[in-house]
Amino acid sequence: MLAATIRRTPFLGRMFDVDESTGLSDINTWPAMMIMTSFVWLIVAILLGVLMPVIQLAELDTNLFYSAITLHGAALAFPFLFQFMMGISLHRSGGCMGKSASGPLTTLIYICMNGGAVLLTLAVIGGLKITYTVMYPLPLVGAQMGQWSMGMVVLGFTGIALVLTSMIFLYPIQILRMSFFGKQREDLLLSARTLNDPGMLGMVMSVMILLVTGTPLMIVAGAVLLGLYGLVPLEAITWATEPVVFQYVFYIFAHNLMEAMAIMVISAVYATLPLYLADGTRKLYSNKLANLALWILLVTSVTSFFHHFYTTNPGLPSALAYHGNFMSWATGVGAALSLFTILATIWKHGIKPEPGLMAILAGFVLYIMDGVNAMVAGNIVVSYQVHGTLWVGGHAMMVLIAMCLMWMGVLYHHYPVITGKKLDTNLGNRFVKYYFIGAFGLTYSFAAGGAMGMPRRFADWSAGPDSWMMVGIAILIFGIFLTVGFVTYMQNFLKSRAI
Amino acid sequence: MLDFLYSTGWGAFALMLFFHIPFLIVFPYIVYRKCYVNTGPSNTDPRKLSRLEALWLIIAVGLFIAANVYSINYLPMVKTSATEASGAVIQDVDVTARSWSYEISNRQFEVGKPVRFSVKSVDTMHGFTVYHPNGKILFNMMLIPGLEKASSLVYTFTEPGKYKVRCLEYCGIAHHAMQDELTVVKSGS
Repeated sequence: MLAATIRRTPFLGRMFDVDESTGLSDINTWPAMMIMTSFVWLIVAILLGVLMPVIQLAELDTNLFYSAITLHGAALAFPFLFQFMMGISLHRSGGCMGKSASGPLTTLIYICMNGGAVLLTLAVIGGLKITYTVMYPLPLVGAQMGQWSMGMVVLGFTGIALVLTSMIFLYPIQILRMSFFGKQREDLLLSARTLNDPGMLGMVMSVMILLVTGTPLMIVAGAVLLGLYGLVPLEAITWATEPVVFQYVFYIFAHNLMEAMAIMVISAVYATLPLYLADGTRKLYSNKLANLALWILLVTSVTSFFHHFYTTNPGLPSALAYHGNFMSWATGVGAALSLFTILATIWKHGIKPEPGLMAILAGFVLYIMDGVNAMVAGNIVVSYQVHGTLWVGGHAMMVLIAMCLMWMGVLYHHYPVITGKKLDTNLGNRFVKYYFIGAFGLTYSFAAGGAMGMPRRFADWSAGPDSWMMVGIAILIFGIFLTVGFVTYMQNFLKSRAI
Repeated sequence: MLDFLYSTGWGAFALMLFFHIPFLIVFPYIVYRKCYVNTGPSNTDPRKLSRLEALWLIIAVGLFIAANVYSINYLPMVKTSATEASGAVIQDVDVTARSWSYEISNRQFEVGKPVRFSVKSVDTMHGFTVYHPNGKILFNMMLIPGLEKASSLVYTFTEPGKYKVRCLEYCGIAHHAMQDELTVVKSGS
């Protein structure tokens, strides 16, 4: 029934029509459904992303800009990229562990993610403009000031809670269930892997990060939500409604969400790169070094979130600021080891220039570039210059864009197994080229905007020097390149032919 | 040079390029070479590769340490402590941020005289960012309402002029209008 639903879906259904002849429906159908749905959100995010500079250049209503930025960020990060990642990783996990990726838990993951995203969208359309970082206590203060209604706050928070439930509890539990429990089915086993393989280790690490760092946020957000529903008096949950409490639990999760997604995708790169080695050896330069890189990333990333609070000094004690600075740069050691592993593997064995692999490597280049951008901003002194500017807004966007490109490359690899169709090499190469040009240009445009003091989430670029508007034009131009990349990627799926 | 690197946004940009440029040369070169020029396995001595691995790690860690150690003297906490220890008279300025304005106890300062900005928010998240008249950011502060201690730092203006203040933390539908201005005059005027 699910496969039929995908098939009947206009436009996108043709791209993700699952091949049912292989007997792999249990690891293909739900992942295909998630990936297809994530593309709906991608289209929303793209349109809003291009709309934002247009609003500024045409000097349209600032309210429209703040609605667009709220919805663009939320759609890009959660129902698009996270859902896209969930779809591919559930398929990978199923194929590597020989376990079904279907069932009630997966259904619930899907319903919570998309149902929550729809509710948040409705709230934003209804006037809630809080950006995807919520900016608590802005939702409540805004309602008190009459910027939006309390009803929209309740609706939006309900949506956010559902999305977070999907990401923090349901998806990690499903991956852990598939990794450690249940009987292996030979018929689903495509490429047996164990937790000694960097590809699987990273996947388990990343869901553990989500579970551990996300639970405090769920407790606090859950309490706030109960207060909003009127089920508990707000006076009884002052421990949760304090802005400082919310901001800390939020950033412990939000920062580590990005790190978890990065660990997940780096592990997917470790799993996929060996499949494209020119000499057919299918081995990384060193599994030990690859695993060490993942462990370093894991350990250092957890407490590096303090860099979000440097500029509240002395609200953030200096000792914790120094710790955050140290850990932010220490993540670079993990990245340096990943970089060495990937380059040494390529150097030793040679590689085949397939579009999927090229997308993965191009995404990795962007990821490292953005990592440097983040480390530089993770220095306390630099943070006093660039915090709150386009620099950090660009970092948040580029880490998503880089990971997205790597996942798109990984999907390129898995697509024939899921759909029984092959993709066109020329279109694949074209997609990588356009996407990379767009993302590369955006990286420097945002960083340059930050360097010249251009604020992020700011609806009036004309209030600053002329150079701010020039940055806006550059963002629009490179954003269009990125859009063409996405469109070419989808075009390739549309034109795919049966193997 | 260090002043530029650690006191300006373009310095941060230059620091970023310092790490980007070697990476953007080496990574594509190796990929291109092993993808299109000679895809055959490289006959590299494993011991050489191990030595290269250690060397690479030492260089990376060394550069990371250098980039941060050189910044220590520019830390706002260190500068504040140094100013306090110097015995200089510090002018205290209290700032209260609320949607979408600032209450500032004094808006006029003298060149060369240190000012301690103690800034708090009374409603939602706000920023307090001071821009030089040439448009560059001098410093910024993030304000979380309810923090027991106000965000605080000591800054000494070096040039007279009109310094714009902007909120850099999104705070609602008129966030972009949350601005103010400080005036810095020559010493003794």
